[in-house]
Amino acid sequence: MLMAPKEILKIENLTTHFYTWAGVVKAVDGVSLEVKEGETLGLVGESGSGKSVTALSILRIVPRPGRIIDGKIIYKGENLLEKTESEMEKIRGKEIAYIFQDPATSLNPVFSVADQLIEVIRRHQNVTKEEALEKAIELFRLVEIADPEIKIWSYPHQLSGGMKQRMAIARALSCQPSLLLADEPTTNLDVTIQAQILELMKNLKKKLGMSMILITHDMGVVAGVADRISVMYAGRICESAGTKTIFYNPLHPYTRALLEAVPNIAMKREKLKIIPGAIPNLVSPPSGCRFHPRCDFAGPACVSAVPPLVEIEPEHYVACVRAKEFSGKLPSRS
Amino acid sequence: MLRYVIRRIIYLIPLFFGILIIVFVASRIAGNPVQLMTVQNPHITAEARQRLTEYYGLDKPLYHQFFIYLAELFQGDLGNSYALRGGIAVTTLIGDYAWLTFELQLAALFLSLLIAIPVGIISAKKQYSKLDVTVTTTSLLGTCIPVFYMGIIAIIIFAYFLGWFPAGGAHSILPERYPFGSYVLDELWHMALPTAVLTFATLAPVVLLVRSSMLEVLRQDYILAARASGLSERSVIYKHALRNALIPVVTYVGLYFGAMLAGAPVTETVFNWPGVGRLFVEATTKLDFPVIMGITVFITIMTLIANLITDIAYGYIDPRIRFE
Repeated sequence: MLMAPKEILKIENLTTHFYTWAGVVKAVDGVSLEVKEGETLGLVGESGSGKSVTALSILRIVPRPGRIIDGKIIYKGENLLEKTESEMEKIRGKEIAYIFQDPATSLNPVFSVADQLIEVIRRHQNVTKEEALEKAIELFRLVEIADPEIKIWSYPHQLSGGMKQRMAIARALSCQPSLLLADEPTTNLDVTIQAQILELMKNLKKKLGMSMILITHDMGVVAGVADRISVMYAGRICESAGTKTIFYNPLHPYTRALLEAVPNIAMKREKLKIIPGAIPNLVSPPSGCRFHPRCDFAGPACVSAVPPLVEIEPEHYVACVRAKEFSGKLPSRS
Repeated sequence: MLRYVIRRIIYLIPLFFGILIIVFVASRIAGNPVQLMTVQNPHITAEARQRLTEYYGLDKPLYHQFFIYLAELFQGDLGNSYALRGGIAVTTLIGDYAWLTFELQLAALFLSLLIAIPVGIISAKKQYSKLDVTVTTTSLLGTCIPVFYMGIIAIIIFAYFLGWFPAGGAHSILPERYPFGSYVLDELWHMALPTAVLTFATLAPVVLLVRSSMLEVLRQDYILAARASGLSERSVIYKHALRNALIPVVTYVGLYFGAMLAGAPVTETVFNWPGVGRLFVEATTKLDFPVIMGITVFITIMTLIANLITDIAYGYIDPRIRFE
């Protein structure tokens, strides 16, 4: 049997709060997850569940008024939260790269793409401008852009959305990072372009041997790309398991609800199941399990105590006090 | 590019004539300069008044006067002053005053940008800090206090009580009073107070503009993306953010630049600074039509040039508005 791959990133009890006028927003509250070498972890959840903040916390670029107040982020055996700012600058973009959701806003509008790529390349690699330009053109070939020598001198506004996202990917890959954080990289693209970009990212990941965290709210996207999935709700992880397990044997009621909300071509004009209610206000989140006000199976135990993330089966972690009851066969939602 | 400039200039022609017509008519509505010239002469006869009116061509119908003015304008002749320096040619007069206006205004603009941009950036970087609150409060005060008031206070403190700087004018009357006997130093010494006041007045809104524009830009994804790429804080702020944040500042300075070349009538009057602004005020009170019109032509052309330069500068800063 193969040896189990080592984890490249391990987050323990990450807590990132935003100190706003309205109160402390507990956007990420005790998140633990891990990414193994060469693996793609899908980080799934509704808008506002803290997925992006988790990813930004890894690079320590949470915008004000957000602050990481607790936890450990162990990358290749070292805690990133103990690094100095200048040490972090050497990790950002070189070791861990980030792809943003909206390619229209993640490229600086006043610099040509070449300028932006060359700056990043020269920041982390000791090369001349000409060599950097050559590398940049090489990267453009990698992300399958036609006429890279000409296109590289474009300004972001001259390009289509899909093209911009390819360029943003090229920038993220410019220094061969070991870990790629992709924050909804296809959400703002047309469906056909989405498929192309996902395919591209999948291939590139294999080619460059990276690990990846793919953040999305689209179950269809993770199904095709992720090896494992962590489901986030209201700033916490509620379930973590292999992709197949999540799809065929989800144990957390929230995961199940999320899966039932995905439209399916085989459905015969049934009404889509929706999750009643909205994601809670994270200034004063619900006590105990944060999902209990929207959960069909909530009992008194769910209200009083925070359910810990426990390994129910091998490699299947669930944060639900009733998870064991759901194991095997699932009670159906009315 | 050249085609764009030419097109702009063609657009400017009707604008130029529009402005000329409005000022020409408005000044003539304001009163009768012959009346004003002769009001202190008790022995003047109606006949003499008539002769003066005819001499200045003010007896002709308004449109006739305007065409005469245009005809002369195209020959580069702006006429002669009615009331100043014994009927000196307006072109000479403006030439004499314009340089001092340029000096004062360029110094004030340069200094205020030199101070305002870094201060605005730091203030935005440290939003809500003590420094930021101090900067915004001071800038707000600077925006609110009228320039003439600031000027008078400055004269009282620094010229009257402390005696560090002269209260007005551009030069000492007696060459013996020149500091170290230098004409240039004397002018700089006289410039200090008006420049400081004008700088402060110009600076304040620019600080607020740079700050708010910077805050807006710092929230953008591309700034987060620049940080996520491991770029240094210096490059993130002074390259990626500043270049974007400066776009509205260029608009502001461009608009200001046009007004600036017209001189600052208030500041120049308070400090008795012999510039175009003060000349304009003087000409208006004396109903000196040729000077009023001459300065209007001068200001209009300068403003139009300044706007053109702003448009071109835009293209350099923001590739999205580059003209094909």
